[in-house]
Amino acid sequence: MNHDLSLSLQDQVKEAIAKKHTLAIVGGGSKSFLQSAKADAELNLSGHRGVLNYEPGELFISARAGTPLAEIETLLADHRQMLASEPQHFSQGENLATLGGAVACGFSGSRRPFAGSLRDHVLGVNMLNGKGERLQFGGQVMKNVAGFDVSRLMVGARGTLGALLEISVKVMPKPELEQTLLFECPSVHAVKRMSGFVHRSLPLSALAWLEGYLLVRLEGTETAVSAASAQIGGDVAEQSANFWLSLREQTHPFFRRHQPLWRLSVPPAADLPIPENEVFIDWQGGLRWWQTDRSAEYIQTMASKAGGYAYLFRDAGPVIGDSPPTGLLTLHRSLKQSFDPDGLFNPGLMGGQF
Amino acid sequence: MSLSKTTCAALMTRLGKVLSKHALLHDEEALRPYECDGLSAYRQLPAVVCLPETVEQVQAVLRICDELQVPVVPRGAGTGLSGGALPDHAGVLLVLTKLNRILEIDAPNFCARVEPGVRNLALSEATRPLGLYYAPDPSSQIACSIGGNVAENSGGVHCLKYGLTVHNVLGLKMLTIEGELLDIGGKTLDAPGYDVLALLCGSEGLLGVIVEITVRLLPCPECAQVMVAAFDDVAKAGAAVGNVIAAGIIPAGLEMMDKLAIRAAEDFVHVGYPKHAAAILLCEVDGARVEVPEELQRVRQIMLESGAFEVRIATDEAERALFWKSRKATFPAVGRLSPDYYCMDGTIPRHRLAEVLTRIEALSEQFGLPVANVFHAGDGNLHPLILYDANREGDLTKAEALGACILRLCVAVGGTITGEHGVGIEKLDGMCMQFKSSELSQFLRVKAAFDPQGLLNPGKAVPTLHRCAELGAMHVHRGQVPFPELERF
Amino acid sequence: MQTWLPAEFMQTSEGKAADAILRSCVHCGFCNAACPTYTLLGNELDGPRGRIYQIKGLLEGSPVTAQTQSHLDRCLTCRACETACPSGVQYAKLLDIGRAEIAKRVPRSVPQRLLRRALRWIIPSTRRFGLMLMLARALRPLLPSAVQRYIPLAKPSGVWPQVRHSRRMLILAGCVQPVLEPGIDSSLARLLDRHGISAVPVYAGCCGAVSHHLTAAEQTHAHIKTTIDALWPSIESGIEAIITTAGGCGAMLRDYRHILREDAEYSAKAARVTELCRDPVQIIEALPIDAAAKGRRVAFQAPCSLVNALKLEGRVEAVLQRVGFDVLPVQESALCCGSAGTYSILQAGLANELRERKLKNLYLAEPEIIATANIGCLTHLNAASQIPVAHWLSLLEMD
Repeated sequence: MNHDLSLSLQDQVKEAIAKKHTLAIVGGGSKSFLQSAKADAELNLSGHRGVLNYEPGELFISARAGTPLAEIETLLADHRQMLASEPQHFSQGENLATLGGAVACGFSGSRRPFAGSLRDHVLGVNMLNGKGERLQFGGQVMKNVAGFDVSRLMVGARGTLGALLEISVKVMPKPELEQTLLFECPSVHAVKRMSGFVHRSLPLSALAWLEGYLLVRLEGTETAVSAASAQIGGDVAEQSANFWLSLREQTHPFFRRHQPLWRLSVPPAADLPIPENEVFIDWQGGLRWWQTDRSAEYIQTMASKAGGYAYLFRDAGPVIGDSPPTGLLTLHRSLKQSFDPDGLFNPGLMGGQF
Repeated sequence: MSLSKTTCAALMTRLGKVLSKHALLHDEEALRPYECDGLSAYRQLPAVVCLPETVEQVQAVLRICDELQVPVVPRGAGTGLSGGALPDHAGVLLVLTKLNRILEIDAPNFCARVEPGVRNLALSEATRPLGLYYAPDPSSQIACSIGGNVAENSGGVHCLKYGLTVHNVLGLKMLTIEGELLDIGGKTLDAPGYDVLALLCGSEGLLGVIVEITVRLLPCPECAQVMVAAFDDVAKAGAAVGNVIAAGIIPAGLEMMDKLAIRAAEDFVHVGYPKHAAAILLCEVDGARVEVPEELQRVRQIMLESGAFEVRIATDEAERALFWKSRKATFPAVGRLSPDYYCMDGTIPRHRLAEVLTRIEALSEQFGLPVANVFHAGDGNLHPLILYDANREGDLTKAEALGACILRLCVAVGGTITGEHGVGIEKLDGMCMQFKSSELSQFLRVKAAFDPQGLLNPGKAVPTLHRCAELGAMHVHRGQVPFPELERF
Repeated sequence: MQTWLPAEFMQTSEGKAADAILRSCVHCGFCNAACPTYTLLGNELDGPRGRIYQIKGLLEGSPVTAQTQSHLDRCLTCRACETACPSGVQYAKLLDIGRAEIAKRVPRSVPQRLLRRALRWIIPSTRRFGLMLMLARALRPLLPSAVQRYIPLAKPSGVWPQVRHSRRMLILAGCVQPVLEPGIDSSLARLLDRHGISAVPVYAGCCGAVSHHLTAAEQTHAHIKTTIDALWPSIESGIEAIITTAGGCGAMLRDYRHILREDAEYSAKAARVTELCRDPVQIIEALPIDAAAKGRRVAFQAPCSLVNALKLEGRVEAVLQRVGFDVLPVQESALCCGSAGTYSILQAGLANELRERKLKNLYLAEPEIIATANIGCLTHLNAASQIPVAHWLSLLEMD
């Protein structure tokens, strides 16, 4: 499907400015566990869709923000390519994740430490700022340092700086082969063993730990994967693609407990006293998913002592998500002001602050 | 505008209380060598040069300048090619080379904390015994500083696979112009709130002064091999680049050098490139020992099918190092062919390589100035080096005009005016070509969010709307543009 | 780089040379990374790129003071920048021109002048230097221990083999080495003798390097001519090579042709000396020497003269490796040790800082012995090293 709603979207923004209305930007509505903005009107981008430019040899794809991620991934797969950062969809039923929503949230999957984040792969955006101006930043080439890197600033900004209309992202060739190896290992030793694997020049694409097992995902040419697999041993996991998908989309039974789910981003080697049955370790140790009823203060202190940060990712009701660090709050406000002087877009979504 | 006598006196008195005599340069004799960075065609004496040795001193200098409303231009090793560290006549040149300590190498967390003056190569040399290295390797890595790399979001010959500076930096400590120390990111793979880190990478010293950097370290690949493929036609080499990528191979590096560039490089480091080559491609493959030879063979096959008349693989590590030394030294080695060169940095879609190179050749003939090409072909990041002689009247103007045409061409084919060198002072007009006034205004507002008085590196990276308007008017008045067939911006 | 040298200066050969050198510099800054003083001080004014710029200003007629002079003085002339320079800037030649020019324009203080004159009077003369050293050695027991270590003890001179082979080479003794380390040359002579080459010693005093470093052109020319005169009869009789075991002197001999290029009487002879001069390693690497060192751990301090002037990087290490030494890696191996002729006396602070850094790097791989190839480095390092420092030629004879 191919629809260009940019003019209408721009009109809606201009109208909102005139009426002094605030706008809640809506995409596919997939991430309903996140609080939505309380605004006077809705700016719905889900109809603004379609791939604009895709040349496999150039390693990028440009699409309208409302294009479903799934559509993009299927197209890329047809050309043996992929979004290397494995952005989470969290699609449910009819509510399909869109490219714009993925970029606004900025989540990356298990391949993050080895292939980069979604932010790393964003090359350019076309957007509407809070003055209703249509602006183009970055582009479609791999390297571009003309002007400030506004495109990457948009990643994870939750739509508070503007509405994304079009996005160009870098794509990567899909590896020939994937194989996942399992090693029995208590969680306390997991991070150290992961580090050992990293030093061994293996074609790694994920290092995680769940329920007593260290998970080593290898990807690459057949030669590389089989040589690596022979070198390190372990048990070969079956149906591994589905397994990783269930971890990425948090549909794995681990995530089905009815407890608050915390996301802790920490230095990979951090030694955190989290009970084994409550944690899923991803990103080679850099990301810890913790299901617990512990207090926010306890968890956040633990993360910050380790040199990282934590926020509540899912709970019974919608959650706010990450908040700017206190020391950077003023700067965040000034940045918001510079893009959206009237506070038009997604009020309250930046950490409940603005 | 220069500093008023009273401001200057107040500035000197107050700086004198913070910095030692040797760290504060004021008379013209001492200032002269600081009048330019790696782009010596643009020169300007600063009012004062400060050489602080500690973060506290940097902080104090900034506070003084903020209070007295004196512009500050931060500078690292001064190897930049866009005049980003060109001093401000009425300002302080804040030289950060003395902040050159590696503060921590944190091997378990695969990162290091460094001061901004640490040389890029010095860091990798220090971490190599631990089997780790810092991936971004700009050609000037022997001399350029990591602080400067962050300011420019530098790339390098291996960024096709390993990314630019922004992809390899985890945290920054930055001083605002008011002297406030901000802690951005850390040793984690992401940070809460806006991605200020990404915004700072490549901000050319306009937003803050970076005083500490946490970089990611990667494990040294088990094996790396490089090949040289020689072509009798630049277009064939350009097409070969696309063919390699289209085959689903992401080499660690994929570089092109044309005839002139080869000649210069050979003069400095004798590698023995095929003499009759119109262009060569250097292609590096790295990874596990078992996979590298296989991939190398695949690349070799593609090169031959794309018309390479000779493909040579470095026989050992020493030869591999020599290939890269020669490639990385090519810019300055061009100094052997010509007293001066003007280096462009446009990036274009790969599939337009052959076409753009051919058009650059035509432009070179039209302007009567030779152009040597040595660049990151895999990224589509061109570096046409326009050879000229600054001692010959009118040559620089001609070189600049030719450069502007090349950049216009890059933008027209869907690329950008700068891939990794930054806008600095010399591509301000190019910015007017690439961005609309609303976009430039947005940049200026971002700048103001950090630096409301506009004291940090003023007049660089983002042109004023006034300048662009004048430029636009000039084009209309003259009624002639170099490429009437090109789409206008 | 753009230049604006005065038309009058451009008429002179110096002017032409300076202009060509300045214009070959593209201001890339690669040289700064290789420069010892820039590494220590981080100031553009104390790196080669900044010095080139200061010399440019000086030659273009900008007003200069002792400030510029002090930055030029701080240069060690290690020439690491030349090795690093991709565009082939002949930095040392430009520095010579710059130093000569500033000497004319900025008079030095009286104590500075006296010190420099004294150095030029004492060091180049083997006799005067020997007397001074004898005196110092005699007073040594009376001096504080901190000073004592700077006075090297007398060393045996070793036996010089008889001249008996038809293959002949000259060994130029130089000025201070016969007094400080008389054994080095004789060990080379014995080694050559064992391989069918007779070495003939030539005592001609200073090769000219000391006064050249101190920008005393007249004295330099005089020393060079004396040396050439001493060498000439043997050259005419058909010797194969002129060897000097001090890398610093070797670098100087290599420059004879350039320095006397305009001397009507001596230019041809100077060129001949330059042609014939060899570093010992160039002779020895061709000889079939037995492996005898049995894995002794040695760290080699490659003198700047050997690496940057003579361009013989890695060659001594290869010989040492071949004869069985375990040659250890040395970090920052290209960074000067701070000796640099009279530099260690005139710029003691920087010289000591560089020495400390060099020794730290040399100790890193825990060597049993440190080897070098230049008398200056050897004495400078030995004065502070916890591990013995020896000329590599002496090592070939141990066991």
